[in-house]
Amino acid sequence: MDAHEDYVWPRATSELILLPVTGLECVGERLLAGEGPDVLVYTLDFGGHLRMMKRVQNLLGHYLIHGFRVRPEPNGDLDSEVMVAAFGSKGLRIVKISWGQGRFRELWRSGLWNMSDWIWDARWLEGNIALALGHNSVVLYDPVVGCSLQDVPCTDRCTLSSACLIGDTWKELTVVAGAVSNQLLVWYPAAALTDDKPVVPDRRVSGHVGVIFSMSYLESKGLLATASEDRSVRIWKVGDLRVPGGRVQNIGHCFGHSARVWQVKLLENYLISAGEDCVCLVWSHEGEILQAFRGHQGRGIRALAAHERQAWVITGGDDSGIRLWHLVGRGHPGSGVFALSFKSHSRPGVLKAVTLAGSWRVLAVTDAGALYLYDLEVKCWEQLLEDKRFQSYCLLEAAPGPEGFGLCALANGEGRVKVVPINTPTAAVDLTLFPGKVHSLSWALRGYEELLLLASGPGGVVACLEISAAPSGKAIFVKERCRYLLPPSKQRWHTCSAFLPPGDFLVCGDRRGSVLLYPSRPDLLKDLGVVSKVGAITSAPGAGSGEGEPSLAEWGPMSTLPSLHGKQGVTSVTCHGGYVYTTGRDGSYYQLFVRGGQLQPVLRQKPCRGMNWVAGVRMVADGNMVILGFHANEFVVWSPRSHEKLHIINCGGGHRSWAFSDTEAAMAFAYLKDGDVMLYRALGGCTRPHVILRESLHGREITCVKRVGSITLGPESGVPSFLQPDHLEPGEPVEPGSEGPGLIDIVITCSEDTTVCVLALPTATGSAHALTAVCNHISSVRAVAVWGVGTPGGPQDPQPGLTAHVVSAGGRAEMHCFTIMVTPDPSPPSRLACHVMHLSSHRLDEYWDRQRHRHRMIKVDPETRYMSLAVCELDRPGLGPLVAAACSDGAVRLFLLQDSGRRLQLLAETSHHKRCVLKVHAFTHEAPNRRRRLFLCSAATDGSLAFWDLTTMLDQDSPALEAAADLGLPFQLGSPCLTVQAHSCGVNSLHTLPTREGHLVASGSEDGSLHVFVLAVEMPELEEAVGGAELLPQLQVLEEYSVPCAHAAHVTGLKILSRSLMVSASIDQRLTFWRLGHGEPTFMNSTVYHVADVADMDCWPVSPEFGHRCALGGQGLEVYNWYD
Amino acid sequence: MGRTSKDKRDVYYRLAKENGWRARSAFKLLQLDEEFQLFQGVTRAVDLCAAPGSWSQVLSQKIGGQGSGHVVAVDLQAMAPLPGVLQIQGDITQVRLSTAKEIIQHFEGCPADLVVCDGAPDVTGLHDVDEYMQAQLLLAALNIATHVLKPGGCFVAKIFRGRDVTLIYSQLRVFFSSVLCAKPRSSRNSSIEAFAVCKGYDPPEGFLPDLTKPLLDHSYDPDFNQLDGPTRIIVPFVTCGDLSAYDSDRSYPLDLEDGSEYKYTPPTQPPISPPYQEACALKKKGQLAKEICPQDCPMSTVDLLPQSLATPQRYTLQTSEVEDSGVTCSS
Repeated sequence: MDAHEDYVWPRATSELILLPVTGLECVGERLLAGEGPDVLVYTLDFGGHLRMMKRVQNLLGHYLIHGFRVRPEPNGDLDSEVMVAAFGSKGLRIVKISWGQGRFRELWRSGLWNMSDWIWDARWLEGNIALALGHNSVVLYDPVVGCSLQDVPCTDRCTLSSACLIGDTWKELTVVAGAVSNQLLVWYPAAALTDDKPVVPDRRVSGHVGVIFSMSYLESKGLLATASEDRSVRIWKVGDLRVPGGRVQNIGHCFGHSARVWQVKLLENYLISAGEDCVCLVWSHEGEILQAFRGHQGRGIRALAAHERQAWVITGGDDSGIRLWHLVGRGHPGSGVFALSFKSHSRPGVLKAVTLAGSWRVLAVTDAGALYLYDLEVKCWEQLLEDKRFQSYCLLEAAPGPEGFGLCALANGEGRVKVVPINTPTAAVDLTLFPGKVHSLSWALRGYEELLLLASGPGGVVACLEISAAPSGKAIFVKERCRYLLPPSKQRWHTCSAFLPPGDFLVCGDRRGSVLLYPSRPDLLKDLGVVSKVGAITSAPGAGSGEGEPSLAEWGPMSTLPSLHGKQGVTSVTCHGGYVYTTGRDGSYYQLFVRGGQLQPVLRQKPCRGMNWVAGVRMVADGNMVILGFHANEFVVWSPRSHEKLHIINCGGGHRSWAFSDTEAAMAFAYLKDGDVMLYRALGGCTRPHVILRESLHGREITCVKRVGSITLGPESGVPSFLQPDHLEPGEPVEPGSEGPGLIDIVITCSEDTTVCVLALPTATGSAHALTAVCNHISSVRAVAVWGVGTPGGPQDPQPGLTAHVVSAGGRAEMHCFTIMVTPDPSPPSRLACHVMHLSSHRLDEYWDRQRHRHRMIKVDPETRYMSLAVCELDRPGLGPLVAAACSDGAVRLFLLQDSGRRLQLLAETSHHKRCVLKVHAFTHEAPNRRRRLFLCSAATDGSLAFWDLTTMLDQDSPALEAAADLGLPFQLGSPCLTVQAHSCGVNSLHTLPTREGHLVASGSEDGSLHVFVLAVEMPELEEAVGGAELLPQLQVLEEYSVPCAHAAHVTGLKILSRSLMVSASIDQRLTFWRLGHGEPTFMNSTVYHVADVADMDCWPVSPEFGHRCALGGQGLEVYNWYD
Repeated sequence: MGRTSKDKRDVYYRLAKENGWRARSAFKLLQLDEEFQLFQGVTRAVDLCAAPGSWSQVLSQKIGGQGSGHVVAVDLQAMAPLPGVLQIQGDITQVRLSTAKEIIQHFEGCPADLVVCDGAPDVTGLHDVDEYMQAQLLLAALNIATHVLKPGGCFVAKIFRGRDVTLIYSQLRVFFSSVLCAKPRSSRNSSIEAFAVCKGYDPPEGFLPDLTKPLLDHSYDPDFNQLDGPTRIIVPFVTCGDLSAYDSDRSYPLDLEDGSEYKYTPPTQPPISPPYQEACALKKKGQLAKEICPQDCPMSTVDLLPQSLATPQRYTLQTSEVEDSGVTCSS
């Protein structure tokens, strides 16, 4: 830490930056990525993987890096040492790096050179650097000494939006400038006769109808590509641009992006473009799209690099993610749809159903009752059997497992089920289960030990068949184990089933959208006398039991989640990692778990937009989950982790009969079309070789940052692994004093991208790990509040980890409440696992709709947004916390959370402010021998603060409160106990600190001012109050100070750290410390940070050795720390 | 969401449509005038970056009505004609003397009393670029103002209050005796825009207006405008418009309190030939280039996959359901 003498302590230093990636460059086997002022260096290791090598900090001061230029070496060796020029805004710095043999060393860095104007492009010219500047001028700069050698403007000094420098000497230097007039200007700085004499442009090229954001020149083919605001990319045949007067011909006008195109890059055989639509397109030079890479989120891809030898494209996004894509030929590797040419004279009949046994055997049945097998290795059809009884109506399902267990089952309209061993079809076993139609068939497999076949018959009866094989493998045995009964509905059959590990229960989904839990061995349960516990069993007399069968009892579900997936039905159920995942045709998938024999929903999630028929989830080899579903007329395999459609099969839409199978080697999708079996197959299963070099954070602005708590990981939990160089963000030298147990802060961020993210920020490494994202909101999330922070296991049996209740709110007046539980987990790099459980939600418009029906209240939703949240923990036992919400319709609303968050209810409201309420803040007043009192402060766009005495209000209105709660009508809060006109306009930050006299209240505003005052809470003496029985506390403003022009923009973060120290953060990107307690707050020092549009700040003390931490959220996230 | 959604969320957008203003920004100028009496004694006014023309509308109403008033509007984009406003289509950043001369010509050789500029670049989302571009627009406007403004004249321009706004203040202070930062109540709290209200045009002695050279922004000065020190040029902030005015951040029900019944009004002036027009037309017709489907090529022989690379493990379960912003009325 440099100790600047002219600055006052404490001094904040940047510890972690997560910003849009604005610069990328491949240098030999390395990749340079610019994030804010820092450079991330990735290197190719022996296995051919790119790994993070080093973060070079603060290369560009308060500027952001927009590009790198590596000095070409005469011998072409860039593997051991390089000179890199990093530039961005008006800053330029040269750094000399040695990076041979996997060791990184910074040898030298120049001064940070400030230019008079924006740098659009830089180019090394024999040891000097030519810079193309903002108003169409070129400077030749000596980067070592830091002086300008030549400065040549163009006669046309318009503002540029991009520029490209070509040539290796000053003499041949060519400028291609993208002017605001949408033209390209080509000019030659060396044509200037004297320094400073403007040069006339040689050529003007028109074509684009929007400004040009990026250019790329391919010398070998004489091509220039431009990307523009008009959403198109143009390819120009320019020949050698260094020769004046050449002809420029537009040879391609490529429309493919659905938004502005930010970046373009020409390669020998490809053209790569990327834009605001977050798509990176690979074009041929003829203008065909060869590949489209989708996966980034938010406001687009900002940086692009290519490694031609490795055939990689690397993209950096606004979401601060970095991804690597493979430029492999056309389409996906080794994949394609092909027809299995079933139709033949030797195979009469029409195909009715298809299934997959493993990924290399296809089974199909015809309306003639014939079962056929297609083996992908043999590549021909073979008839397994023919049974006339399975004519016209026939269901077909192959058993699960890597090779389909070698079994499949058929069922017909007369209640008959046939189980067929594929290798020995003659050993098939027939069974008549029902007097009527079999509606559905499904399998359930437990390891390799237990295989069940479930068949739904008439009347909601599901027969459960137990299948076993003789040791010889030549014979199979099918035995009916039990029967289950489904809840009544019109279409009363089950759709899917799975064993719940360890195997005592079966989870089923039905056509009505319900998820059901059944004992897998009910008779065993009965024998053990557990039946009483199961309770729900209905031993109805076998209403529809089969011919001659002993009347079997029908077992009802032990637990039901009725209509979880709506009327369209449940499509699949999968058990993995302690959770049950169900999917449905309502376009969602649920995470559930079973506790105490009861199914409980944890989280509802939605895959990519437009996938309204979610068909299944699969766990792939790399530990991630993929979602299967139908998206318009395509079958899609989608990865929630990378937001990427891994496979897209244009099959025509949802099919009556289709099958999906994946193994590590390959994935296959089979469906019927035009009387033939179509098969899509892709090697490598559901994983794709694209790589996430760095995970993305939020796609849009962060609106709120809250620290939840911290977790200490002991050495046994694998703390040393944080220091290993191979994880997300290694490489920082460990700060002295931060050794010992690994302390990890857990922080929650929410964003305009509609998600809430749980982050782990270890103190030791300056890294960040996103643990999980909650995406239940339909609109932007603006605020989160946290309460009830504890440890797993509760206070009685504390276990390592952290639990907390979280409530989030935002646009469309939507609020969600959930719990998070973070526990140590050795497998992920963060060493943590985060479990989220959704508890409740509330939407004001739905509430008003209900009220309209019940009370004939006419209140039209004005599209209220929640702006801020505060949790007020009540001291009344049993009563959940109150959540105060600042609403854009001018109201402050109080919600009551009951049943530890499972019920969320509107309790009270006030329209006191009549203007958009921006902030709410809750605090408690504690005085000796007095009751703890709860206060709420709210602030609006008119700069006024209002204080509310919640304790009195709840006391007074206690009966009314309960009545109101019963009626569902909110009661009115009345008038506030104190209002303070603190600012002339909107209050964007608010904080309080209890002191001896009362509370120190500080607010920061849109006008850049700070307002600090002491709020005294005077409690009337008991004697005085005897008469009136009024024990209302009196609020009074004691000392009041205002600091105008504290910042040059909105003060959006403010924290009173102690009675003598306050810290503020503003959109002007300064973090400023203020001394309090001696009259007016006085400026101590400030630090320039890199996150633009900061919307929120949170500060917390970590430990005496580590000091304070401060997280700033806006267009990115930055963490600072200081010692106190 | 429906077409009334924006009317609920943005009361000034709705009022602008109902009152025939081309954009809600008209209210900003009106509120600025309320506070600073900008139009007092003004007969010649210049509106730079005028499109879609709401400020010109205000100017023509307030000044043009005084008989001798002249309003000149300059913009790069085409603008639907307005009665009483003379339009010049030209780029203010591509500084040519001709633009300034043309303006003066329209004022019959007299300099202007007021120069306003409500221009903003099409934001890219990269904050440093956007702030720079906005600063260049302001400086270009200032450069023109130095040619056409009479001594003591007034200059009002939009600023983005970002990291380097103090550099703009310092530049403006060179030319004007009084520089204030004003924010009308019709400008949202969530927006970083504000207006620099500069009064008393007083160029430094010996200053020669030169349109051939762009004005460049100032740089941080260790003495009187520090990057991270206590000394910064932060001009006083004034909130314009009284508290009874509508709150631009508040969401209002469609039936406003004044008892008027809501009726949907279509936007007054949709944008004229935006850059994305062709791309949108192609998209509508489904003619955007599409990826060559893997199905279209025959099943190729088995490729060996490149080794899959190590990835940091994580579950991100996000779906973006942010609505498309689509074509919006500029503010």
